[in-house]
Formats: sequence, C-alpha cells, structure tokens
Amino acid sequence: MSDETKIDLELDLKGLLCPLPMVKVSQNIGNVPVGGVIRAVATDPGAMADIPAWAKSTGNEVLQAAKEGSEFVFLVKRVK
Amino acid sequence: MDSTQLTTLTGVIDKKMNRQLKQYMDICARCAICKDACHQYVGTGDFKYLPARRAELIRQIYKKYFTKTGEFVPALYEARDPDENLLDELYDSTYACTGCRRCMYYCPFSIDTAWILSVAKAILIAAGKGNEMLGQLADAAIFKGDNAEMFNDVMVSGFEDIQEEVRAITGNPNSRVPVNKEGADILYVALAGAHSIRPAAVIFEEAGENWTISMFEAANYGFFYGDVEKARLITKRYIDEAKRLGVKEIVVPECGHAYRVAEFFYEAWSKEPMPFKISHILEKVDQYIKAGRITVDKGLIEGKVTYHDPCQLGRNGGKFEEPRDIVKAVTDNFVDLTPNRAEQWCCGGGGGIVAMEEFKDVRLASGIKKVEQLKASGASVLACPCENCRLQIEELNEIHELGLQVWQVIDLVVAAMPLKGTKPTHA
Repeated sequence: MSDETKIDLELDLKGLLCPLPMVKVSQNIGNVPVGGVIRAVATDPGAMADIPAWAKSTGNEVLQAAKEGSEFVFLVKRVK
Repeated sequence: MDSTQLTTLTGVIDKKMNRQLKQYMDICARCAICKDACHQYVGTGDFKYLPARRAELIRQIYKKYFTKTGEFVPALYEARDPDENLLDELYDSTYACTGCRRCMYYCPFSIDTAWILSVAKAILIAAGKGNEMLGQLADAAIFKGDNAEMFNDVMVSGFEDIQEEVRAITGNPNSRVPVNKEGADILYVALAGAHSIRPAAVIFEEAGENWTISMFEAANYGFFYGDVEKARLITKRYIDEAKRLGVKEIVVPECGHAYRVAEFFYEAWSKEPMPFKISHILEKVDQYIKAGRITVDKGLIEGKVTYHDPCQLGRNGGKFEEPRDIVKAVTDNFVDLTPNRAEQWCCGGGGGIVAMEEFKDVRLASGIKKVEQLKASGASVLACPCENCRLQIEELNEIHELGLQVWQVIDLVVAAMPLKGTKPTHA
C-alpha cells in the first residue's frame, strides 16, 4: 500500500517513547489537507496501539500499521 | 457569554464548592511567598504564572457569584465575569501549571493552587476550552479500554518481542513477560513504551516474582486534562483487569502521576474502596534488594549519581526514601540535589505540559532552577523515576550541555545487577 499512496508528510519518530509518537502525529495532522496522508516511522512498539487508537477516537484513519524490522510504519489519513 | 453558559460555568464552581475551596478563596493574604516557590514564575517572571495570580482568576469569578460584596460592587472587590478574556487568561495559567504543589508547600496557609486549578480545568472544559491534545490522549486511552480485543494481538506480539529482549539481558531462556496470567500476585501496569516494561521484567523475573503484565498503560491524560470521569475510566481499565485476573497487588511504573492517581484519587472518583494494594515499582525493588531477592553490585555504575524527586511521587506522593535507598545500593558515589525531597524544585515537565507544544517556551524557561541544581551537584548520572521529568530534563540536558546520562531508576538497577546476558544501554 505504501508504494501506491501519495505521502503528504513524512514524520521520523524513531527514538521517541510513547505517547510522543501519537502526540507528534496529532500535532501534525493539521499540516496535511483533508484526505492527505502522513507516513510516520516509530521505534516504540507502544505506537502500534496508540496511533490506531488515537485515529479511531479522533475520526481519522490508519491506512497501514506495519512492523518492518525494528521499526513501525504508519500511514495515517486525515479524514476531517 | 449568554446566561445559559454563565449558569453552566458558575454551576461548575458551585458543584466543586466545599469548605476547602471556600477557605482557599477567602484566605489568600497576597504575601507573594509563592512567587519564589514557583519554578515557572522564577523562570519566566511572567505575572500570569504567579501561583496566587492563577488562583485569583477563579477567585474573581467566586467573588462575583458567591459573595454579596462582589455581586453588588464588583469593581471594588475585583469580581469578574468568566468572559472570553478571563477564560483565555485562565487557559494559559491553568494548563501551563505542572501541578507540582511547591507553592502549597511554602504557602503559610497551605493554599493548594493545583486543586484550585482542577476547578479551573473543569470550567474550561465546560466552556469548550479544554486542552485539545490532552483530551485526545485521554480519549485514545479510553478507546483502547473499550476496544481491548482490537489491540490484543498487537499487544501480545509486542510483549513477546520484549520477552526476547529480557531473555537476552538475563541470559535465562526461561525469563518471561507473563500476559493474562490468572492468579498472579502482582499486576504490573507499565507505560506504553517498552522501556518501562523491559527492566521491570528483568527485576521481577530475577526476584522470582509471581507477576503479570497489564494490557493497559498507567499514564492518565484524563487527569492532566482535568476531566474526572475520563480519568476514572482510564484507571478503571486496569482495575477491572486486576479483578479479572485475581491479583493481590497493582504495581505502577516510574510515572509520578500514575502512582498518585491509583493510590490517592481512584477511590474518590469511583466512590468505592480500592480492592488492591497499590505499590510503586520502586517500593518493590527496594524490598527485593533489602530482602536479598535481587543482587546489585556497587562497582558497575560509573560516575557521580544524583536523584531528582518527581513532584507527584515525592512532595505529593510521599515517596522520598525508597528511591534513594535503591540508588545508594547501586553506587557509593551518590550526591543529593539541593534542595531535595519536599523542597525539591519541579523540573518544569509535569502536568502533561511536555505534550502541549504551545507551552514549550515557558516549559524550557521554567527548567532553569533544575539546571542550576544539576550543575551544582557535579553528577554525571541522574536517576529520575518519572517519564515527564525525564523528557524535560533530557531536553534541558541537551540545551544547557549538562553532559548528563538520564536514567530510569530501574535501568540503573539492571545495570548494577550481575546478569549472565548482555546489558542494554538504558531506555
């Protein structure tokens, strides 16, 4: 999916401990247009629950939450 | 502001009004001793961060709607309506406050400004002006609680990865991170990050503890946000889990407010007795060391080590000696900060402020007293059992080039344990 999706903003969240990856995604979601996508790469495994939970509770959408080696890669779409 | 909204906001104060709040409203002598106690006022010199001023904003509404003098002669008694200007000022004063309660410690009348600001947060939330980020963090936590099955697989998978790391550290292929273990003695409610699980698991396993890991995190942004119901629901997630698993004790991690929420607030929020013993992880570790359940070697930590009392654990939680006893057990080269314990300076990172970008400048400016303390100590290692404090101090460390290693206390313990496996770099 990541090869086909247009990325509007890349966030390097490696080394940040939870909940900061979720905080950074939230702080930056307003920096992409509605329908736009953030690609965020984190290393804290807690982000695998935090970022999808944040997206669900704020009405945004996680297109991808995948573990790639020691990293966790998220595609987050701004819905509203 | 229309009359309906005004009634709502004054109703918030009315609902919170008790003898304690009324005393705080009536008794401030404006002596300004609190100006020298508050790290934010000392660091910024900004009047709106003076503790007495923060409380005064609520006091002005109180005078207008709860005293006859303020109602009839508002100009003379500095009584005000909670209009947009007041609410905007209240927002800055309230959400910037780290809730360290150092002002209360020095106040001759022990006025609890943080408690008054809990009323301020309730007013701001009722006015639709609660901090958005803290609200989102709280809602995400509640969502995880309401939809636990959605996150079960990813959580278990994460714990399995951490278990492998624990085994590499202990050198014991049987070390575990037990999940959903019914009949465990202890439910360890960690933070969301692996860093708070890995060293705790090493210690629990080496101590031969009968424990299990919680599926939920101990951090409670509902508490920082100022919404009691959200805070209760976030805590309830692991209380219910503890009941289901039949544990005897809940152990909270190196997180200041998490300890205070579980030990001091949940009973009042839930209006039922806490069915479990609540312990801080450092109480357990201190017991393990003193009982000989884990072994630590004083020769393995290099450099002078100091300790920062997180406000919610120390001044507001009463845990001063256990962490110090642990640090002294792992090094002969301990030096305390000055002042310390109940008089410890707040680092400036509490109350959820590290998650609120809008307060970054005041947050960093307010860390100056902590920087001075750390420089004066001559320490090269700081042990600090609070996530928010560590985030703040690591940033101060970089900006002021302090050259400190900032460690969790449990990282320090693992570093001092003679283990067969490979020691990690901390965090």
